[in-house]
Amino acid sequence: MFNIQKLNIGKISALAAVLAWLALLFTDLTRLFGELNQIHTAIAPEVSWALEIIFFILLYIFYNNAINRTDNYNFIGLIWKSASTGLVASGVSLLILFFYYLLDDSRLSRDPLLLNFFYHVNFGLTTVFLISATMVWKHLILYQKNKIVVQQWQAYEVILLMSMFFMFFNQNTLNYSFMFGLVFLMIFGSILSANLKWIPYLSFKNKWKALLFVVIILASCAYLFVQLLSYSNSNFHLVNLTDNLFLLGLFGFVFVYALFSFLVTLFNLPTSSVFEQKLTEAINFQRLSRSIQPGQSESQVLDILMDSCMSAAYVDAAWMEIQHKSFPTEVLHQRFISNQDRKEVREMMQNTKPFLEYFSEGMQWKKDYALGKLNHEAYTSALVFPIKVNKDLVGHIFLLKEVRDGFNKEMIDIISTFVGQATISVENYRLLNEAIKNERYKEELEIAQRVQRSLLPSRLHHNRCFDVTGFSEAADEVGGDFYETYQFDDTNFALIIGDVSGKGTSAAFNMSQMKGVFHSLVQMELSPVEFLSKANSALSHCLERNHFITTTYYHIDTAARKIRYSRAGHCPTLYYDVDKGESEYLAVKGMGLGILRNASFRNYICEKELNYKVGDVMLLYTDGIVEARNEQGKEFGYERLKQVVDASHGLEVGEIKAQLIQALYDFVGASTLPDDDYSLVVVKFLH
Amino acid sequence: MLKIEKTETGDHCVLRLVGEVDASNSVELDLAIQQLMAENVKKILVDGSALEYISSAGLGVFMSYLEDFQDNGVRFAIFGLSNKVKNVFHILGLDQLLTIEDEEQGALEWLYEG
Repeated sequence: MFNIQKLNIGKISALAAVLAWLALLFTDLTRLFGELNQIHTAIAPEVSWALEIIFFILLYIFYNNAINRTDNYNFIGLIWKSASTGLVASGVSLLILFFYYLLDDSRLSRDPLLLNFFYHVNFGLTTVFLISATMVWKHLILYQKNKIVVQQWQAYEVILLMSMFFMFFNQNTLNYSFMFGLVFLMIFGSILSANLKWIPYLSFKNKWKALLFVVIILASCAYLFVQLLSYSNSNFHLVNLTDNLFLLGLFGFVFVYALFSFLVTLFNLPTSSVFEQKLTEAINFQRLSRSIQPGQSESQVLDILMDSCMSAAYVDAAWMEIQHKSFPTEVLHQRFISNQDRKEVREMMQNTKPFLEYFSEGMQWKKDYALGKLNHEAYTSALVFPIKVNKDLVGHIFLLKEVRDGFNKEMIDIISTFVGQATISVENYRLLNEAIKNERYKEELEIAQRVQRSLLPSRLHHNRCFDVTGFSEAADEVGGDFYETYQFDDTNFALIIGDVSGKGTSAAFNMSQMKGVFHSLVQMELSPVEFLSKANSALSHCLERNHFITTTYYHIDTAARKIRYSRAGHCPTLYYDVDKGESEYLAVKGMGLGILRNASFRNYICEKELNYKVGDVMLLYTDGIVEARNEQGKEFGYERLKQVVDASHGLEVGEIKAQLIQALYDFVGASTLPDDDYSLVVVKFLH
Repeated sequence: MLKIEKTETGDHCVLRLVGEVDASNSVELDLAIQQLMAENVKKILVDGSALEYISSAGLGVFMSYLEDFQDNGVRFAIFGLSNKVKNVFHILGLDQLLTIEDEEQGALEWLYEG
């Protein structure tokens, strides 16, 4: 909607301006005709002035609108538009002069109507030029807006408007009030002309273009002004259109601003490279500070760092050295220098101060950089910066210049900032990677814990005749201990406890293999020896080398009150006999699973049977308990275990378990961490 | 902490274990025996008089060489174990597969027997 409106404003105002000019022309020609031919036409000069003002205002609106729609940063384009308008106006004026020159002194050349016509043409084009230039200057002045400048400009516009109407008061004669008004306008315009902040942003090439265009504007302005003066000196016209405050004020403003622009652009030429340099540095800084994307590497940041440092100091050669632990120093990003020269320079540095001190051990922490002279044939000044990541010295950046004292404080400051920023980027990248790794570890551990929980039985099978409870604690997130029960029928149960060699995830894997073996074989209701033989055979195929599993397998028959068991290298069962009044370790020949991975294993295990009585207590445990050490390095041991069972045999299984756990933790102490898995199973016979 | 002292005397080689064998250093024991096997030593003696503790990792090392010893005709014997450590071998059943003597003399005799 708005675009259509704006377009219309542009077209309407242009059209209207042309109409106003035509009306003015017609009015003036009619009046002149009347004068020449003594016909009384009642056209007062005020009519012309009014049309003139309308013309001014319409042109103003048109150019204001036109310029607001252009690209904000295309200064050169705008200035060129204005310059081209100036060229056109001057060109046409010159053409008219040439025309009159051709006409020489003919009757036509003296025809007042024709003269007046051309006068109007000149007037129109001059006004177009002045107003278009003024609008361009407005755009440039308001390029970096602040409240003060905006207010100043608005005031100026009001004053210009007022000056348009001034001609009603003084009929365009040059009296004191006119001069006062003109001087006032000139001063105000000059104040506004100090707003030249668009000039530094031009590139070097564009500055030259700007100079050219501004010169054209200056020339057009001067020429058209002189033309104006010549008209006012001749007297063939009746209504003076051009000796008015508005146009003269604009002449002054356009000229002064153009002049200031020219001078400032000219004097900015030698230093324009500094501004461009600063812009480049700012861009490089931003590139360095952008976080390293996943998939990129640290070396990309170092690459950008190299580029930035080199352009900041206009170096002739540079390279980067990165130190890896236990690997030789790596040379990266070598620029504009041969290997031989680099080695020469590097060696030279080891012998030249201040580099000698800089590279000596320990000094790097005190010095932020090393700057000095070199006696090399090609390079005479050098700057070395350390690259530190997380307080570790990661490497150095070497910058060389062919001129002496080639590095000034500015350059060193900028390079220091770049190195700092690159360091931050690299540190962030590493921290992020660490965090990701940690997350992954945490996830894996959580999975392992879930696995661990699933490997231990949720319930232990028993009947009224005996009670059973278990306890297990792993040293790591997952452990290698296991125990399990199985119910064959109302009176027959299998019970197993085992210990996989090792700790942690590998032990847990082996443990789950054993669990699988147990659940498969137990269904076959084998005798303990058969069970262990077959288990050994199965595990021979899947247990890792160097690993073994110790286990004891029990078959409890509550109808016959019998326990049959076989021990595959596991800790001997502690059995409390109520008749004897004490506990003892059940000795039975055995061998761990996975040690002999052939059929001869059978010969090393045997089965025993015992009849239990009511009140008997059986304790299954793993070696983590008896081998648990306290701060002094003493082991919990078999004796202590026996003592606790002797003392607590009368309690029910849960309490016996609690007593055992308490005794163990009391012994080990709160501060010692478990370094093995603890497990125990308490069985008490009730009927 | 484990220290392994190797002494070569006549036909046999003695590995004296000082300290503890656990998961962190069992690989040193493994390498020591591996080296002896590579050197084609046919009589290996392990002096366990200074061995304070052995974990399942250490036991696993001994266990893994059982077949190799048999296949290559290597005579392997351990002596001087403390009661505690000897008990560990006994519970696992390794004492049925390895020659474990109380005194060095007994172990040497056995080594040169076969």
